[in-house]
Amino acid sequence: MDFLFQSILNGILAGCIYALFAMGLTLIYGVLNFVNFAHGELIMWGAYFLYFLMGKPFGLPLPIALIPALLLTILLGIGMDRFVFKPLRTANRLTLLIAALGLSFLLRNGAQFLWGAELRTYGFEIKRGLRILGISITLNQVAIILTSIVCIVFVYLLFHRSRLGKSMRAVSDNLELARVVGVDSKHAIQFAWVIASVLAGVSGILLALDTNLQPGMGLINLVKAFAATLLGGVGNIWGALLGGIVIGLAENLGVLVISPGYKDAIAFGIMVLMLLIRPSALLGRQE
Amino acid sequence: MDLFLHLCVMIIIYIIFAMSLNLEVGYTGLFNFGHIAFFGIGAYTSALLTLQQVPFELSLLIALAMAGIWGFLLSIPSLRLRGDYFGIVTLGFGEIIRMVFQNEVWLTKGPMGLPGIPKPILFSYRFATLPQYLLLTLGFAALTFLILRIILRSPFGRVLRAIREDEVAAEALGKNVFFFRIKSFVIGSLFAGLAGTLWGHYTTFISPGDFTLLETILVLLIVVLGGKGTEWGPVLGAFVLIFFQESLRFLRLPAEWTRYLAPLQQMIFGGLLIVLMIFRPEGLLKEKGRVSNAGN
Repeated sequence: MDFLFQSILNGILAGCIYALFAMGLTLIYGVLNFVNFAHGELIMWGAYFLYFLMGKPFGLPLPIALIPALLLTILLGIGMDRFVFKPLRTANRLTLLIAALGLSFLLRNGAQFLWGAELRTYGFEIKRGLRILGISITLNQVAIILTSIVCIVFVYLLFHRSRLGKSMRAVSDNLELARVVGVDSKHAIQFAWVIASVLAGVSGILLALDTNLQPGMGLINLVKAFAATLLGGVGNIWGALLGGIVIGLAENLGVLVISPGYKDAIAFGIMVLMLLIRPSALLGRQE
Repeated sequence: MDLFLHLCVMIIIYIIFAMSLNLEVGYTGLFNFGHIAFFGIGAYTSALLTLQQVPFELSLLIALAMAGIWGFLLSIPSLRLRGDYFGIVTLGFGEIIRMVFQNEVWLTKGPMGLPGIPKPILFSYRFATLPQYLLLTLGFAALTFLILRIILRSPFGRVLRAIREDEVAAEALGKNVFFFRIKSFVIGSLFAGLAGTLWGHYTTFISPGDFTLLETILVLLIVVLGGKGTEWGPVLGAFVLIFFQESLRFLRLPAEWTRYLAPLQQMIFGGLLIVLMIFRPEGLLKEKGRVSNAGN
């Protein structure tokens, strides 16, 4: 029984992180109407930026290194848009997606070039977790859950209480109409990249704290983020949150029945299943 | 001389692989980002069967069928939807198939790979030496080229192009877009399986690490560099890129450089894709008679 509860806890934990991936992905999808295949690499680079700042020659402690790491991630996100996606705003979809895939591959190998292909961690010692009701939870894991909640509340306030958030929602609903009523769409797009990058950076760091860093971590997490997005309804931020948690739970409970080697395939399975049984629900937001 | 022949064999195998992707990406407008999966399925199926003493002719047919069947199964959930979904499903599928090769140790020997894949014997003629193998791949490449040319110049091929340009208009003309896309995808998967089979029997050793995203990117780059939607584009693209890729391998660079060279080369591939898409999306050879550049 304890084992089951432990799996549920781990599932929710992973789910919170996936939810943050998915929220960023769906935000860009909502505003620019395409799947950013390089979103996984944004996550990965966020985690590596922190690794870079904590290692030699900087040696910053985690709380201080966090801020420049996130700033660098934002810079990368804005750079992606400025140099790759902006010149392709009016291009056809195939051109755009191939460029996104190329970007993803470029960034993945960029990380491999700088840090090598081996698994890395932030070098914290593994501490014995607190035991509550027979479930073990480490301080890192508590931090993961708290950070996720903070991010989610922040996104909620931003979208529903701020002018910028409202203009972003307007752009994602209908770009032309938003322009007509005087919303600065360029500003809104740029801001969407900032938020998506922050979410990607934070979630990448949390994931690396919970597991490890590796240049290939972007791609498989892109699939997970997308599966979460599909589950929740594309373009729907709250759906993404729910979808992320469902995927996290399915993965951690799934490995109780199937081989752990397929843990990363579970999200893909859910995605295909969703496409099979509920294709109409996914078509809700067509251009 | 052997080096030159090796280069030719590799180029020709990649020409077949790229032609099959060109049918999907170039002519039908399908965003297949996991083409390596079908290459891998072909390679593993034929390797496993011939290692069990099944004759090559039969293994080849079963390998093609397997690639086609998996293409069919994958297309049903994913092709009904718009391109982005299909792109991400195929991208994921490419990763999952590799996971299967890695985990199903009882069948594939997992990360150990399959050594000693026999050279093909076709109608009791054994293609063992390099020149013989070159002949074999050349024959299959010519066959692929002709079959695809016949398909694409037929009314069926015109429908595929119509779907690529304007899905709604094609639907309005009474064409079942979904079925045409499935057919195109299955044919593409089949020929990718052929390329995989030929490759497996050529290298005689395959392992899950041979079927990564790199190969998908490489073949996609071949298609878009050469010119998607053209007959000779994949041929030209394969010559340029495989020559570049394979000649790096034979430069005999110090081993400690590979740690940096491999990712650097792959960064170049990724960067090249971006640059091409921004500055010359049509590639080196331009598709004739194509006016419209709009559409989805």
